[in-house]
Amino acid sequence: MSDPTYRAGFDAALETAINTALQYDPATRARLQELDGKVMALDLTAPKLQCCLCIEGDQVFVRQHWEGDVTTSISGSAISLVRLLKDPDATPAALGVSISGSSALLAELQWMMSDLDIDWEAPLAQLIGDIPAHSIGNVLRSAGSWLSASLSRAPVAAAETISEEWQLTPPQAQFEAFADDLAELSLATERLEARVRLLQEQFSRREAE
Amino acid sequence: MKDRKTTHFGYQEVPVEEKAGRVAEVFHSVAARYDVMNDLMSGGIHRLWKRFTIELSGARPGQKILDIAGGTGDLTARFSRIVGDSGQVVLADINESMLRVGRDRLLDRGIAGNVVPVQADAQYLPFPDNTFDCITIAFGLRNVTDKDLALRSMLRVLKPGGRLLVLEFSKPESKLLGKVYDQYSFRLLPFMGKLVANDAESYRYLAESIRMHPDQETLKQMMEDAGFVDCEYHNMTGGIVALHRGIKP
Repeated sequence: MSDPTYRAGFDAALETAINTALQYDPATRARLQELDGKVMALDLTAPKLQCCLCIEGDQVFVRQHWEGDVTTSISGSAISLVRLLKDPDATPAALGVSISGSSALLAELQWMMSDLDIDWEAPLAQLIGDIPAHSIGNVLRSAGSWLSASLSRAPVAAAETISEEWQLTPPQAQFEAFADDLAELSLATERLEARVRLLQEQFSRREAE
Repeated sequence: MKDRKTTHFGYQEVPVEEKAGRVAEVFHSVAARYDVMNDLMSGGIHRLWKRFTIELSGARPGQKILDIAGGTGDLTARFSRIVGDSGQVVLADINESMLRVGRDRLLDRGIAGNVVPVQADAQYLPFPDNTFDCITIAFGLRNVTDKDLALRSMLRVLKPGGRLLVLEFSKPESKLLGKVYDQYSFRLLPFMGKLVANDAESYRYLAESIRMHPDQETLKQMMEDAGFVDCEYHNMTGGIVALHRGIKP
């Protein structure tokens, strides 16, 4: 068995990160308070990790051992769980996540995560003052939106570069025309095959007569 | 004439009736700087050891918990939140200075209402039979003069099904770690004690008392002999510290 000190350290770090972030989103903290006493048991399959998230007041406590009642149990990979929590319209079955117990807690957490609005400027302002923090915030926000836009454009841009510039693959339109021709050829071949079969049957009948 | 009964105080042999007084002197001396020294000596890891202890306690709202040798109230503060208004946490310590520091610290943090400080000797706990759902003693058992008597006293005041958790320094699992730990304990620890708390002797006693404390298997056997069942222990940080858990049948 691994040393419990490491696991306790991981849980403590995760707990501190969650609660520190919550400090700067009062609206989410207030909504969390309504879930006081609820417990979500997580059974992560990749990476392999089990823990319980216990909501006490407006804080979340991460526990490795929990012997009390569990409101909702969730099992799946970490990536699936993050997707599930970030997207209120996502369904557990589509992401390969299994749930037992009350699904209301999950739904509430999904809505909370989609509305999460952490004011990262606040802790920075405490350290360096309001005006510098706001300036840095603006720069980071611009950089963030540029990065986000670039990332969303990245797959299309990469595909264009590979086919148009490097000519490693055919352009999409050419590929689609080729695929259509191939499908047409396949159908024509099947039709021809059917005709040949029909002719064979007719010849066989005549020979028998 | 019959010889006087003795016990160990660190590496010294002292008459049994003297040990409690000498341990008390040590803790009177270190009480004011106890938390700072704990953080410094363990690099803050004592918080993780205590965190694991609280998890294994299985504490619930409404329960009654006894935190023996509660010192400056680390465990009590967390238990107070868990048991809530319907529960109760008794912060017990034999040492008046430690208890006063703990009580004041809890009050300063707004922890009150369900916490009762009690000056009590672990060997003769002043509570009725079957009172508590859980008892913890963190880094305190090695300072008790008669550990068997203390374990029996704890068993008496626990409710049937209640659990005892003993968090205490123990024996490192690896020889290499043991050697490094010895160097740290006997050279660096008294030096830090001198530097921060201006008290090298108390911290030398700390290192010696750890070496004289029963190892993991011996303590487990002592708990079973006292009447606890399903006894088990978890080594932490390579066995430098062990958490023993036993259940009252």
